[in-house]
Amino acid sequence: MTGGTGTRSKPLGRTISHVGLALVVAFAGVALGAGYWQVLRSPDLTRAPDNPAVIAAARNVVRGQILDRDGKVLASNRRNADTGEPYRVYADRAFSTVIGYASQDFGNAGLERSWNAELTGLSGGDPIGDLLRKFRADPYDPQKLTLGISSPLQRAAVAGLGDDRGAVVMLDPATGEILALASTPTYDSGAIANPATSHDAFAAVRDSASRPLLTRATQGQYVPGSVFKIVTAIAGLGSGAITASTTFPQQARAERDGLVVSGFRVREHAGVPSRTFDLAGATEWSSNIWYALAGMRTGGDNLAKFAARMGFGGAIPFDLPTVASQATNGDGSAPGGFSDEVELANASYGQAETLVTPLQMALVASTVANDGTLMRPHLVVATAGRDGKRTIAPEQAGVVFSPEDANALTEAMRRAVESDVGRQFTSGADVPGVTVAGKSGTAELGGSGAPHSWFIGFAPADHPRVAIAVIVERGGRGGARAAPLAGDMLALYFKTFGS
Amino acid sequence: MDPFLLTVWIVRLLFLGLLYLFLFRIARALVGDLRSAAREPGAELGRLVVVASPGGEPVEGTSLALDAIATIGRDVNNAIVVDDQFVSAEHAILTFRGRAWYVEDLGSTNGTFVNGSPVEGVVPLGFGDVVQVGQVRLRLERPRPQTRR
Amino acid sequence: MTAAAAPRLPAILGPVRPRPRGRETRLLVLVGITILVGSVSLELAKRVTDPGESAGLSPANPTHLAVYLGLIALAHVALVLSGRRVDQVLLPAVAMLGGISLLLMERLPQTQVQQTVGPWKLGLGDIQLAWLILSFGLATVIAVTVRNDRWLRLYKYTWAAAGVGLLLATYVLGDDINGQRLSLSLGPISGQPAELLKVILVVFLAGYLSEYRPLLVEESTKIGPISLPPLPFLAPMAAMWAIALGLVVVQRDLGAALLFFTVFLFMLYAATGRLGYVVLGILLFLAGSWVMYHLVHTVQTRVDIWLDPFASPTGDGYQVVQALYAFARGGLLGTGLGAGLPTVGGRLPIPAVHTDFPLAALGEELGMVGVMAILGLFLVVVERGLRIAASAADEFRALLAAGLALVIGTQALIIVAGNLKLIPLTGITLPFISYGGSSLLVNGIIVGLLLALSDRGVEPPPPPLPRSRFSRLTGRVTRLETPDAARAPLPPGSGRP
Repeated sequence: MTGGTGTRSKPLGRTISHVGLALVVAFAGVALGAGYWQVLRSPDLTRAPDNPAVIAAARNVVRGQILDRDGKVLASNRRNADTGEPYRVYADRAFSTVIGYASQDFGNAGLERSWNAELTGLSGGDPIGDLLRKFRADPYDPQKLTLGISSPLQRAAVAGLGDDRGAVVMLDPATGEILALASTPTYDSGAIANPATSHDAFAAVRDSASRPLLTRATQGQYVPGSVFKIVTAIAGLGSGAITASTTFPQQARAERDGLVVSGFRVREHAGVPSRTFDLAGATEWSSNIWYALAGMRTGGDNLAKFAARMGFGGAIPFDLPTVASQATNGDGSAPGGFSDEVELANASYGQAETLVTPLQMALVASTVANDGTLMRPHLVVATAGRDGKRTIAPEQAGVVFSPEDANALTEAMRRAVESDVGRQFTSGADVPGVTVAGKSGTAELGGSGAPHSWFIGFAPADHPRVAIAVIVERGGRGGARAAPLAGDMLALYFKTFGS
Repeated sequence: MDPFLLTVWIVRLLFLGLLYLFLFRIARALVGDLRSAAREPGAELGRLVVVASPGGEPVEGTSLALDAIATIGRDVNNAIVVDDQFVSAEHAILTFRGRAWYVEDLGSTNGTFVNGSPVEGVVPLGFGDVVQVGQVRLRLERPRPQTRR
Repeated sequence: MTAAAAPRLPAILGPVRPRPRGRETRLLVLVGITILVGSVSLELAKRVTDPGESAGLSPANPTHLAVYLGLIALAHVALVLSGRRVDQVLLPAVAMLGGISLLLMERLPQTQVQQTVGPWKLGLGDIQLAWLILSFGLATVIAVTVRNDRWLRLYKYTWAAAGVGLLLATYVLGDDINGQRLSLSLGPISGQPAELLKVILVVFLAGYLSEYRPLLVEESTKIGPISLPPLPFLAPMAAMWAIALGLVVVQRDLGAALLFFTVFLFMLYAATGRLGYVVLGILLFLAGSWVMYHLVHTVQTRVDIWLDPFASPTGDGYQVVQALYAFARGGLLGTGLGAGLPTVGGRLPIPAVHTDFPLAALGEELGMVGVMAILGLFLVVVERGLRIAASAADEFRALLAAGLALVIGTQALIIVAGNLKLIPLTGITLPFISYGGSSLLVNGIIVGLLLALSDRGVEPPPPPLPRSRFSRLTGRVTRLETPDAARAPLPPGSGRP
């Protein structure tokens, strides 16, 4: 019992090896922890916005250029003489509302924001690619963006809007490529991107009462007035409620006395004769009565359904943020979300609770022009990086109504521009040598102010190549500002791209 | 791929590779140590090879397995009996303590020598060291490797 | 015929003969090549960002590299010349860790730490190199000269008292940094006594546990179903422990407290082989932690950060979050030395990277592969230490070697696990890699002692004396009075017939 070493104890060597084993297990646990953070969680943590690597890379990356459809550079880079960090320079302020800005202090806006990952080349994600990237001189691959926008058209649109606030949207109805997306007022995005002037420039733009940072073409919500009649016509024709030859016997009297709907009297605008019209006649005369009757026959649910097919009711998937357009605010109990027949009747010719964006109305024109099929609108048509070029293919957004009905509506819209009657309302929208189809709008806002001046249309009427929507805020009647500007824009289009 | 960067990455991966080569070399050494340490209990702890023995007992060239304690002397009760006139009856003792051998002279007349130096007190003995008692020289060798269980 | 009839002088181990150390030589050559390649890699990383001059491949700081490699070679030569049979793997493994440390400190902004010594303005890399020199020098001197362990073995209570005194002095006289009193200044020199306390604690525990091991194993005080160690024997140890822990907690040094406690439990298990003690210790630890969490604000903050650092990524959780980002950026293969740690406006993402988060930086620049290698190096150090312990001549040496190895292994585990958010972060250093003089010097002492203990030629330990039960309580005196008898070899009478 008093033996020297503990006879009943475990040998020291064994307990020590147990301790060693425990440490090995603990080290293995730590190694697993390293694997968790360095392999499993590596992708998402590396891309966390407050990861210094992301911040540093964003400050130091030379962003990809942005080009117009002819390859002219719209956005490029210059290096800050003091810090060596690059900053953006922009070719023309006519593009500011499209391209936006990339600023170290104020973040990004416009395409610079929505295409940031491609422009910086910081997007990655596949581990193999990330692994290979390490072997490259420039680890990231900033993409060069090519836009469908034509600089002459964009500049002319901004110049044409002048000091007025408004928007011009032009696109190729067959592909959805945006040719011009002008919003006024515009601003100097280069001054915001330049670190030397960014603070003052940003403060001025942010505090400006005219809200230049609001891209009116995609985010401005306007009362559409008569241009919305095209939506009513599409819904009526598409649902089969009306045809091109539909007439309403009660129209003749209603033109004189007004159309009584549930006690409310819909009145015609001045100068419309007291007789019945078919679709083309109603469109060239821009008859509120006919369209109110057509809308009521079509029904609120059909109107809402066909509008939704063209993008109403939700943000349009696009390169820039968009705001939803609405036929009605949708909280009514009648079919389609209308409150009652009165609202439906008024909405049918674009008053009531109807609000639209210029881009949405351009898509309506584009749908008619493209035989009833809507193409997804897009600004960026190609990206090019070290790894090659990627073309963004035209993509169909949906078939809205039939080609036959689209042709019938085209004829009606052609007469609204080309006929002697229509010309009274759309003066200036016609282009010599080209048949233009379109519809003007005069959006009454109530009160004493001038109405919004609208025009939507496309040309040539038989084989449309370009669709357009123009709005000039407080521009007066549709024929006063919007239609002539649209005519100028279409004329420039055919001058630029040939007729 | 940029050739300069390729070089940079080759150097970077070479550094990591060398770290692992280093660990691998150590691991091999450790495994070797473990093997030699994993002996059966009760196995021999070392061997004495008779380098020179003018008296013929023990026989030159023989290899004697050692237990933890081995006394050397002319008396027949010694673990290693040395027939030499210069060797005392109880001449020296080899002890294995912990993991090392020690030799101590037991007050012999002519002394004990390790590698030619006289032994005073307890002297550690390494494998390969030569112990001299009288005219007999004995070399301590590693134990013969055991067949692993 | 009896041995040691008359007292003799301690044996001089014969003439010093150089003894080649082939394995160590080969491993050290590999260390040299690796650090050289790492240094070249570091230099190349600078050229990637600043392609100014395009000279061929060259190391980042040739002077530092030459000094460091020379230092290792010198240590090796000293060991060869001393002729001692000490472990041949420990020095290369530690030299690799030190080399990695030097590369890291050269890579970080030199302005992290700056000091003016006489005419020299020293940066982070210079200072770390100086401490590495002192540390390796100390290790070598200890490895070559320490040939007996009596000075450690016999004065364990003196050591324990010195340790507690040091800790008290720190608390009373220490420099107050961020509400923690961890460092003690003596003239121009300041150090962290808690670092030295690690060694002192291990020496005390090794002495105490080896002395009372049989009783700790064989007897117990029953409290219900739990059997505790015999109280009279556990009491002084528990007291020592409580004093150390209490002081450390008062000083808010959670890392040291955790380290001491873990090493204590490991050593207790190694000495007794009784898992019950470990379970009891863990229960005590959990209870203590619960109390600390509710009493001490620092503990609460640390635990809350640990539970969800992303809740305050710019506040309390900043460094932990940034460390995790660094690990994540490293991925599998890392960014390469010198290519990680992106600065925003010239600021490092992790301010305390050189002291508390060196592994995060290495994890980023060497990747998971590199982290595994570094963990492997620590395991090698631990393995060597435990092997030295397992083959030690007696229990004191075994427990001492195991305890010293455990200090290094456990400390590495605690800080690495803290960096990786596996446990709450505690501010202790990563052995051999973190910047810091106290830490490097004490780790040098540990390596030196381990090397010395690994020598099979160290003076043989005294054989255990048969003692009565009473004499075990007071027997130290007896042994002190008869040192020669204690050093006597086994009685020859016990030889084989």
